[in-house]
Amino acid sequence: MAQGYLVLEDGTLFEGELFGACADAVGEVVFETNMSGYQEGLTDPSYEGQILVMTYPLIGNYGIVDDYTKSPGIHVRAVVVREFCKDPSPMYSGGCIDEYLKNNGVPGISGIDTRELVIKIRNNGTMKGAIVSADADVDKVVADLKASPASDEENLVAKVSCKEVTRTDSSKDVTVGLLDCGAESWIAKALAERFNVVTFPYDTSADTIRSSGISGLVVSNGPGNPAHPAIMETVVPAIRELSDKMPIFGIGLGAQVTALAMGAKTYKLKFGHRGGNQPVRCNGRVHITTQNHGYSIDEGSLEGTGLVVNQVNLFDNTVEGVEHGELPIFATQYHPMASPGAWDEEAVFDKFASMIEGVKF
Amino acid sequence: MRKDYKKLLVIGSGPIVIGQAAEFDFSGSQACRSLREEGYKTVLVNSNPATIQTDADTADAVYIEPLLAENVAKIIEKEGVDGVVSGMGGQTALNICSELADSGELDRLGAVLVGTQPDAIAMSEDRELFKETMERIGEPVPISRSVNSIPEAKEAVEIIGRYPVLIRPAYTLGGTGGGIAYNEAELEEICARGLAYSRIHQVLIEESVLGWKEYEYEVMRDSDDNAILICNMENLDAMGIHTGESIVCAPCLTLSAQDHQRLKTAALKVIRALNIEGGCNVQFAFNPENGDYRLIEVNPRVSRSSALASKATGYPIARVSTKIAVGYTLDEIPNKITGTTSAAFEPSVDYVVIKIPRWPFDKFRTVDRHLGTQMKSTGEVMAIGRTFEESLLKGLRSLEIGVKGLDRVEIADGDIEKELREATDKRIFVMGEALRRGMSVEAVSEMAQWDTFFVQKLKNIIDMEAKIASDLTPEVLKEAKYMGFSDEAISEISGKTPLEIRDMRKSQALVPIYKMVDTCAGEIPAQTPYFYSTYGRHSESEKTDDKKVVIVGGGPIRIGQGIEFDYCCVHGVMALQEEGVKAIIINNNPETVSTDYDISDRLYFEPLNLEDVLNVIEAEDADGVIVQYGGQTSVNLAVDLEKALAGTKTKVLGTSPDKMDVAEDRRRFSKLMDDLNIKQPRSGTGYSFEEAKAIAEDIGYPVLVRPSYVLGGRAMEIVYSTDELKTYVDTAVKVSRNHPILIDKYLTEAIELDIDAVCDGTDVYVGGIMEHVEYAGCHSGDATMVMPPFTIGQDIIDEVVDITTRVALALDIHGLMNVQLAVKDGQVYMIEANPRASRTIPFISKATGVPLAKIGTKIMLGKTLKDFGLKGYRTIDHYAIKASVFPFLKLPGVDSILTPEMKSTGEVMGIDEDFDRACYKALIAAGNKLPTEGGVYITVNDADKERIVGPAKELKEMGFTIYATKGTSTYLREHGVETTTVFKLDENQKPNAVGLMRDGKINLIINTPSLKSGALRDGYTMRRLAVELEIPFMTTIQGAEIAVGSIRVAKSGEIGVRAMREFHTFQ
Repeated sequence: MAQGYLVLEDGTLFEGELFGACADAVGEVVFETNMSGYQEGLTDPSYEGQILVMTYPLIGNYGIVDDYTKSPGIHVRAVVVREFCKDPSPMYSGGCIDEYLKNNGVPGISGIDTRELVIKIRNNGTMKGAIVSADADVDKVVADLKASPASDEENLVAKVSCKEVTRTDSSKDVTVGLLDCGAESWIAKALAERFNVVTFPYDTSADTIRSSGISGLVVSNGPGNPAHPAIMETVVPAIRELSDKMPIFGIGLGAQVTALAMGAKTYKLKFGHRGGNQPVRCNGRVHITTQNHGYSIDEGSLEGTGLVVNQVNLFDNTVEGVEHGELPIFATQYHPMASPGAWDEEAVFDKFASMIEGVKF
Repeated sequence: MRKDYKKLLVIGSGPIVIGQAAEFDFSGSQACRSLREEGYKTVLVNSNPATIQTDADTADAVYIEPLLAENVAKIIEKEGVDGVVSGMGGQTALNICSELADSGELDRLGAVLVGTQPDAIAMSEDRELFKETMERIGEPVPISRSVNSIPEAKEAVEIIGRYPVLIRPAYTLGGTGGGIAYNEAELEEICARGLAYSRIHQVLIEESVLGWKEYEYEVMRDSDDNAILICNMENLDAMGIHTGESIVCAPCLTLSAQDHQRLKTAALKVIRALNIEGGCNVQFAFNPENGDYRLIEVNPRVSRSSALASKATGYPIARVSTKIAVGYTLDEIPNKITGTTSAAFEPSVDYVVIKIPRWPFDKFRTVDRHLGTQMKSTGEVMAIGRTFEESLLKGLRSLEIGVKGLDRVEIADGDIEKELREATDKRIFVMGEALRRGMSVEAVSEMAQWDTFFVQKLKNIIDMEAKIASDLTPEVLKEAKYMGFSDEAISEISGKTPLEIRDMRKSQALVPIYKMVDTCAGEIPAQTPYFYSTYGRHSESEKTDDKKVVIVGGGPIRIGQGIEFDYCCVHGVMALQEEGVKAIIINNNPETVSTDYDISDRLYFEPLNLEDVLNVIEAEDADGVIVQYGGQTSVNLAVDLEKALAGTKTKVLGTSPDKMDVAEDRRRFSKLMDDLNIKQPRSGTGYSFEEAKAIAEDIGYPVLVRPSYVLGGRAMEIVYSTDELKTYVDTAVKVSRNHPILIDKYLTEAIELDIDAVCDGTDVYVGGIMEHVEYAGCHSGDATMVMPPFTIGQDIIDEVVDITTRVALALDIHGLMNVQLAVKDGQVYMIEANPRASRTIPFISKATGVPLAKIGTKIMLGKTLKDFGLKGYRTIDHYAIKASVFPFLKLPGVDSILTPEMKSTGEVMGIDEDFDRACYKALIAAGNKLPTEGGVYITVNDADKERIVGPAKELKEMGFTIYATKGTSTYLREHGVETTTVFKLDENQKPNAVGLMRDGKINLIINTPSLKSGALRDGYTMRRLAVELEIPFMTTIQGAEIAVGSIRVAKSGEIGVRAMREFHTFQ
C-alpha cells in the first residue's frame, strides 16, 4: 500500500498508508466517536466538506451494506482510521470499505494514531487538513492549507440539497414539507410513514413553499455554517416568513437555521458534537442522542426571539433543543431517530403531528 | 434524590467459587466506598476473609459470618439496619435477599431491599415469569418450559419439537447442573442432576440456539427511568459455551450499527420492564443467518460481566448502581473520570478489549476439559490494545499458563477437527495450529463456529510469524510489535534471544506508549490514571517527579493463586500512599479491587511478563518495585527484574532476590537449614527413574515427589511404593537431566503449621501460627487451619517462634515471610520458607487486627518493626478457623480426596471465642451441609479406631444412626456404641454405603483411608457420590472431631453474630 500523510494546518504530520481512492483531499478535520456505524458516517450529508477521523480503531469490520447509508453517496472528503478491515465478517455479506471508497472516489488513510489526533483536535479545535501522497511537498501543503479558506466558507448545503421539488403521495390525510439542507434519508422515510411529503431544495422561496399545500415544515440537517451568507439569504428569511404560518420542526442544521430565522445567533463549537453517546436533558429526563454538528445556538441570543431552551447537552451545557413560547415551532440539535431506546422518534413526529392538528392558520 | 437510611447492609458473595470470583469483592468494596462517600452508616457481611471488603475500614461494622439468611437477619436486627443492598454479592446475596423478602422476615425487621427488588429478582430468575414478562413487552425468548420432573421434561421436548435442548436449573450459580441434551438418555441424566441442584427443584427445558452468536449488553437505569448502555460485548465462542467460558471482546466487533441499535433498544426495554434501578446484564443469542435474536438471560445485579464492562470502559458500574439504589439519578452522580460531567452518558471506547478465561485444568489431570454451559474456569484475564491482534496476544500471555502468545501446540493432524468442533481450553491454540498447517480461514471458522472476522485475525498473527521467521528486518520487527508480539515470542520464532530482540527494538526506538482509558474516546479531557500499552506515537502517561513504587499484581484467579494476593497488593498500595509514595499497580485481572482505577495512583492494565513489567517501570522511571505481593507470578520475576534493573534507579524492594532464591533453591535452602541446625525431612533429587528409586528406598517410603521445574504444588504426590513411583514417573512428569524430580520423606501423621512473619532485618514479628486440622501432606491451601494452634504445647510454640525468627533473620527478610513446619513426635521439621506474602496474610491480619501486608510494605520503604511496636509472638484470645471451598461439584471426574496438590478455589473464616462455634461457622460458611439428624457412615483405619469412639458415641447420643463397615462396627460395639453394620462396596451386597447414600439415609461420612499404597483411590466412587449428593465427607479423624463439635453447636442453636470490632484484637 502507498504511504501518505495527513497534514494539519499547524504543520503536524501523520504518516500512514493510503487506501480507498487514489486522490488528495482537503477539508476540515473532525472526529466521530461512534464504535460502529462507519458507513452511516461516511454517507451523512452533514459531513460534506470534512475529513472524518474515526475514534474507534477498527473500521469496516462488518462490511459495507446497501441498507446502511444515510444518503446515496459518500459525503466525507476523506476518512482517517487506525485500521480498516480487509476481510469483513461475512454475516451481512458486505463489501470491503476499501472498494467502497475507491468506487466513490474518496481517499482514506490508515495506520494513524487516531487517539493522538483526536486529542489534538480536542485541545486545539477543529483544523484544516489534507491527505496527500508521500512524495508531496509537505511545506507547500501546510502553506496552502493556511492560505485556503475553511471548508465551511463554501456553500456546502448547495452541494447536498436536492435540486428540484419532489412530491411523495402516500395517500395520507396531511401533507408536510421537507426543506432539504442535506437531509439524511431516514427523515423523508419517517415523514412518509405519516404524511404526504413535498421535498424542497434549500433555496426554495417561502411563497413556493406556502403555495404547495403543506400543513407543516421540517427543516432538515445539513453541513457547515448555518449563518453562511448563502443560507442567510435563502433559508433563513424563508423560515422567518413561514414561522407564523405553519408548524416548523428543525433538526440539526435545521434547528440552527430556525433559531437564526427567529433572530437568535449561532456560533462555532470548538470541535463539535459527533457521536452516539451525547447526553441531553429534556423535561428532567436524560436521553442519549446521536449528533453531528459543528455549530450551536447561542443561548444568550435567544431573548426576544420567543424561543426558549428546552434541551441541554450534559457534556458541555450547550443548547440541544428550543421551542417557541407561542408559535408551533420547535427544534432539536440532535437526530432523534438515530437515538433508539431512550427516545423513540414517534414522540417527535407525534408532537409535530399534534401541532399540525392543533394549529389552523 | 438521596433517600435516608439509618444503616445500610451490603451482603458479599462469600468464598471464591467457580462462577463467583473476585468480581464481587470489587463490586462490594466499591459499593461500600460509594455509600460512605454519601455519609451513610454501613454494615458489611461476608464469610471470605481474603477480600478487601472484609477489611475493618470498609464499613462501620464488618461481620465475617456464614452467608445464611438467618445470620443476615440477626445482623439486621442487631445493627438496626433498615436497608439491605441486594445487588452487590452475586447470586449468593440475591438468593439471601429473596429468601428474606419471601419469608416476610425483612418486613418484620423493618428493612427494605435497596437496589434490585424482589419482583425484579423473581422476574429474571424464575424462567416462567421471565418468559411471560418478555412476551408482554414483545421481546423474543427461546421456546421453553419449566419442569419439575423428568416426565415433564420429556413433554417439553415434544413441544419444542427437536433435540438438542438446553437444560437450565433455576436459582444456581454459574450454570451448575445445566447441560445440553442431544437425546432422551442425556435429557434424563442432566435433568436429574439439574433438579437436585436447583433451590426450587425446577429446571428449564429450552429450544437450542447452539451455534448462534452471543452478545451481552450492560445497561443501567435510575428511578427517573433514565436508561443507558454502558458497554456491549461479543462472545467469540458461539452459543453453547457459557459466557464465563468464552473468549469475549468489547465492544462488539461484528455487529452492524443497526443491529446494535435493535439489541440496545431491546436491552433498555428489558431493564424498564423489570423495573431495575441499577445495573443489569442482558444476554442475547443472535442468528447470523437471518438476524433473529432471542433474549437468553438477564442478571438484575452487578455480575462478572459488569465487572468486565467496568474495567473495559472505565465506567464504575458498581459505584453508580449503588448511588442509584439509594435514590440518586444518573445526572446527579458526578463522573469522577472527567470531573466535569455526570454519570448520565454512554461510554465510548477507542480500543479493543479481550477477556480470556483461566481454567484450572493444569491442576486436575483427570478432568473433562470440554467447555459447555457449565462454568469451569476459576478466573479470567483482560487485555487492552489498539488492534484485535494486539489485545489477543497480550491476553494470551497474561494467562500464566506458560505461553508467549498464540503458541504452537502438539496435536496430530487427524485430531484437529475434533478439537475445533468440541471446544476445550486449548481450542484457540489449535485454531492457530490449524491455520499454520494450511487449513483455510473458512474451514476453521466453520468447525469452531467463530466468525471468520476473528479467525482472519488469527491468520494475520500466523502470517506475521512466517515473516518473522524468514527475515527479522527492522520493518518486520516494527510490524510484529505493532501487532502485539512479545519479545519472547519473536525470540522463539526468530531464534534470537529475548535480550537481543529487546536491544534491537530499543536501537530503533521501538518502545511501547501508554494510552488512557477515559470512557469517552478522547472527546473530553479526563484525569483517569488508567493506562494500557500499545505501539504508536503519542504516550499519555507523563512522567512525574513524585517518588513512586510499582507493585506487580497477581494475574488471573486460579487454584493456588487466589484473591489473597490481590488483597496484599491493595494493602501494599494503601501503605505506600500512607507513606506519601505514589503507588503504581500492574495487573491484568478485571475482576479485582487492585484493578479499580481509583485504588492506586496509576493503574497499568498489562500482562505480567518481564518485558511488560520492565516497560512500565522504565516508562514511569519508578523508584522501586515490589514483587512480594503478587504471589508466584511476581516472585518469579524477582531475579530477572533485579538483573535487568541493575544500574538504574529502580530497586527491587524488600528481601533481596538473591535471598529469595536461597528459599526457592533446594540445595541452598538445605544448606542454610543445616547451618541453622533446623531439621528437614530427608530429601534428594533424581535425574532418572532409577536414581529416584534409589533415593526413595534410601529415605524410605512413603515419599513426597514433585517435578523440580514447577512450583505451587503442581503434580506433587505422596508415593507409597516403587510401583507407584514408576506410575508417577510414567504418567505425571517427564524426568530427565534437565527436569529432575524432587523426593522428600513424607512425615506420616505429622501436624503441619503455617506461620506468617514480618521481618525488618533486625527484628521479627510472628504474625500468627496456624495449625492444620489435616495431617501434613494436605496442601496448605486446602487444609483447614486453626489459629491459634489447638493441640500443640507451649514448648513447641516457643520452638516454632524461634525457628521462624532465625530463618527470617538468616534470609535477611525485609517484608513478609511464610514458613511451613511439621511436628512429629515432638520434633519440629522445616518444610518450606516462602519469602513473600502468602495466601494466609489476609486471614491472619483479620484474626489479629494487625495489617501485616501494610506493615511489610512500610518496612520495605525503610521503617522498622519498632516503629509499630511489634516483636515476637502474641496469641489471640479467640479462635479463627480457615476452611476451604472446593470445585468438585463443577468438575466431573475429579477426586475429592485432599493431597499435596492444591484443589480449593476459595476460603472462609469462622471466628468466635468458642472453638466449636468457630469451627461450626467455618464449616457452614464453606458450604458443608452439616446434618443435625439422620445417619452417619463411619469407616476408619485401625490407627484411628480408638479415637473415633468418642465422636461416634456423641453422634449416637445426639440421635444419629451409626452405619459402619464390619471392622469399625465391631470395634465401636465393643466400646459401647450401637451401630448398624453395612457391607463394603467390593463385597457387592446390600446394604452398602453407596445404596444408603442414594436413599438419603447417610448425611455425614467419616472415612479415614489407611495410608498405604492404593488405599486412597479405593474410596473414589463413594467420595464422588458424596460430592454430587453434597454429603459432608471427613477424611481425617481430626476433621471428624471438628464436625461432631460443630453439629453439637448446630443442635444447641445458640449461635450469635459478632462484628469484627467486638473481638479483642491488637489494634
